[in-house]
Amino acid sequence: MNVARQREPFSFSAIVGQETMKKALVLNIINPTLSGVLIRGEKGTAKSTAVRALAELLPEIAVVEGCPFQCDPSDTRHLCQYCKVRVANGEELGVRQRKVRVVELPISATEDRVVGTMDLEHALKEGEKKIEPGILAQAHRGILYVDEVNLLDDHVVDVLLDSAAMGVNTIEREGISFSHQARFTLVGTMNPEEGELRPQLLDRFGLCVNIEGLRDPGQRVEVIKRRAAYEEDPGRFSKQWHAESQKLVGKIMAAIKLYPQVAADEGILYAIAERSIEAGVDGHRSDIIMLKAAKTIAAMHGRTEVIEEDIDEAAELALPHRLRRRPFDEIVAASTRKSQNAKSP
Amino acid sequence: MLPPLAVIAGCSCQCDPDGDRHCPECAQRIRSGEIIKTRIVPSPMIDLPLGATEDMVIGSIDFEAAVKTGVSRFMPGLLARANRGVLYVDEVNLLDDHLVDAILDASESGLNLVEREGMSVWHPSRFVLIGTMNPEEGELRPQILDRFGLAVQVEGETELSLRVELLKRREQFDLDWEGFERKYSNNLEKIRESIVNARSLLPGLFIPNHLRTFISEICTQNNVAGHRADLAIERAACAHAALDGRTEVSSDDIIAVAPLALLHRMRSVQEPQMPPPPPPPENEETEDPDREEPPRDLDEPQQQAEAMPPPENPRQSEKPDAGDGAQEAEPEQPPKNDEETSPQEEVQEIGTPFKVRKLASEKDNKLRSGSGRRSRTRSATKQGRYVKSTPRRGRDDLALDATLRAAAPFQVRRRRQAPERRLAVHIKEPDIREKIRERRVGNVLLFLVDGSGSMGAHRRMVETKAAIMSLLLDAYQKRDKVCMIVFRGDDAKIVLPLTGSVDMAGKHLAELAIGGRTPLSAGLSKAAEVLFQVLHKTPSAQPLVLVVTDGKANVGLGEGAPHREAVEIAAHMKARFPEVRFAVIDTEPPGVVRFQLAQELAAALNAEYFHPETLRAEELVKIAKGE
Repeated sequence: MNVARQREPFSFSAIVGQETMKKALVLNIINPTLSGVLIRGEKGTAKSTAVRALAELLPEIAVVEGCPFQCDPSDTRHLCQYCKVRVANGEELGVRQRKVRVVELPISATEDRVVGTMDLEHALKEGEKKIEPGILAQAHRGILYVDEVNLLDDHVVDVLLDSAAMGVNTIEREGISFSHQARFTLVGTMNPEEGELRPQLLDRFGLCVNIEGLRDPGQRVEVIKRRAAYEEDPGRFSKQWHAESQKLVGKIMAAIKLYPQVAADEGILYAIAERSIEAGVDGHRSDIIMLKAAKTIAAMHGRTEVIEEDIDEAAELALPHRLRRRPFDEIVAASTRKSQNAKSP
Repeated sequence: MLPPLAVIAGCSCQCDPDGDRHCPECAQRIRSGEIIKTRIVPSPMIDLPLGATEDMVIGSIDFEAAVKTGVSRFMPGLLARANRGVLYVDEVNLLDDHLVDAILDASESGLNLVEREGMSVWHPSRFVLIGTMNPEEGELRPQILDRFGLAVQVEGETELSLRVELLKRREQFDLDWEGFERKYSNNLEKIRESIVNARSLLPGLFIPNHLRTFISEICTQNNVAGHRADLAIERAACAHAALDGRTEVSSDDIIAVAPLALLHRMRSVQEPQMPPPPPPPENEETEDPDREEPPRDLDEPQQQAEAMPPPENPRQSEKPDAGDGAQEAEPEQPPKNDEETSPQEEVQEIGTPFKVRKLASEKDNKLRSGSGRRSRTRSATKQGRYVKSTPRRGRDDLALDATLRAAAPFQVRRRRQAPERRLAVHIKEPDIREKIRERRVGNVLLFLVDGSGSMGAHRRMVETKAAIMSLLLDAYQKRDKVCMIVFRGDDAKIVLPLTGSVDMAGKHLAELAIGGRTPLSAGLSKAAEVLFQVLHKTPSAQPLVLVVTDGKANVGLGEGAPHREAVEIAAHMKARFPEVRFAVIDTEPPGVVRFQLAQELAAALNAEYFHPETLRAEELVKIAKGE
């Protein structure tokens, strides 16, 4: 669906402070298997701005031309039904390069719209059943952004959990029996004052960041200045920040390239397992995410070897929301490092 | 790991070519003399997604075939595809009841009967049902629990080296799953073989009578409801023996599998207790399963009963089943401020929460909107899960699939009647179906809590808080909205405005200070205010008001006797809000002299009446992996 040309989003690098949040998002761009970020914070803390600003940092991927399920032309084993049929018929699949997408999931979304449903038009015109892909199909290999994730309808949450778990969306409804790949980075924002997330959903988020408004007056002034400049002339603002953004993009690309070579030795694995046991988390997801995060952090710093400090950084992002073991426990914004503004990406 | 199956080629439910029960279609083909071809296919492993609609699960009319050929043909659903395989339901405690019922019916009877859209068909549907769930999200109904043969509790690994190994393997898998698969394929092959082997041994499995008795003893001792457990243990023990390559069940097999069958069926919460296995009777036969057990010593069963030592009580510190109403619950933490009845403020720690009795409203047919799971109601908005369709009109919520199915059988005729219209599908008014959506609508729970000094006596507040915490936990799972009003001293305050955040309620409860006099009238008035606002905003809401008090009102709004005034206000409130349900938790301690004031209040409100003890559904229950 084409809309009139939208104005440039606010530049990611122009966001003042909130380094932890920015880091968590950047880590997920470098390594999409990190299972996303939950951003918890009071109103007006640039949560939504940051996610929407991600667009300029995202790398390009190859997709099959005309495929509604964002099929990866190089991943022949996981092609969608339609692409498979085309290949079987000897057709050569066209390939297109495009940027990784950020797909927004509206709060009012119904289950049908998210999961996919029967193509009404096709059924009536041709008398055949065909699937109309939903939001999950659009989000595959991209970022699924849910604002106010704690207010989502139960049924939609269930569906998200289902797909986020297995990376597949299975539809058995309204005459349609279909399944397709649905691997996406889930980014959610929420205001904790309005109610907490269920522990199940919390656990699905790989990383979690708690943010607050900036306290330092100097920084606050900078926020106002930059916002005003942006509102006045978004195009010019983007240009001014372009160089900075490009630097960040360069760093991200380098890290993506380096990541497959990053290794963690036995000592690191033990250290990670110990942290989880000490923290008393449920299940094993925290270990797995901490390992991935630590490796990604190492890659981001240009190293192929994971060191203890990488685990510290990873734990700060991967543990806090998992410490909440019972519905009434508070989310402890505990960190092994004091400052929120340490180590910018 | 599932071994491949031999099936009749072209059968939609994987009929066994050598089996004795075929679906009607296959039976017909065999009768008509058709040469049946056999195929080897992988065992079906069917995933049931949460959002599945009924038509896809049990099957429905094949719309496309009907449109093209005018024939009413059955399109099989998941229950057909799962026949002779595995049906996997993730988050089974979140699945809609009607789907659960359909699945369980099929799994018990081994066949699926479909009566819809003018068709009446059946087919075999025998599968292994595997469900997973996180108990934090809500429990399964006991009837459903019971239908699962075995149950397993899974927890994270705390042993460090195992944890690391798990981590390593996961990384390996993520980096190179093909290599990972290859690495473990040998192992898989061995397991597959042993399963095939075990299946062949199973029909000849023999279980001696004295071990059957042993099974019954286990079930009785563990206070299991019904008889499914006995059957489950017997079948599982046979399978266990077969897997080990033996043809006779031993007591070890039984001991190994019994906990799996007991975990979800015991009426009381504790570890399953095993009596010691009986010694085999001296003249036990092991060879010929057809021969009858030779008569044993009549004394033997008695000897076995006496020899049983008193049941051990492994790790738990739970008390056995309470028959003792006077005995009060002991919280797991040691009590801090015992016996203090100080008039000043004090904060009493919360006792351990426990399960609560049902407080759900009966389902009525009013339309409501909202998320939550306590009461299941028909949904007014287009949100909610599409449950079934109806020919009744008026809500503008078209059920296209049902409409098409309704129109399907008439297509050929309609096309012939109006060939010039060139439509793929001719839909007429009577075909149109609308969706019926169902959502679980959370209630509004209004807690009206007495914070006066008299609540401090006899640790009533501790128990009361514990009761409320359980209710809050229940509310959390059912997605209720909660509000809390506390009355003490001279007035009543809304300490927690209406919120979905049940944790906030818990926090307030933990910090609730008590002391001062009892302005019951003020509390009731405040509650009336809140009710008015709630009902004004959401006329279809069905609030529940829980009043926690001993009824000893001593501060009135007007000049009259405070208690009588409160009772009058209560009656007035009940008359003003007929839709609202009330419950009174009477915290007056049991004793020789009881004023029964709270009871009067309950009568005026036409309320359900509880003591903190009767509010408990069972003994101390571990909630959500707490200590």
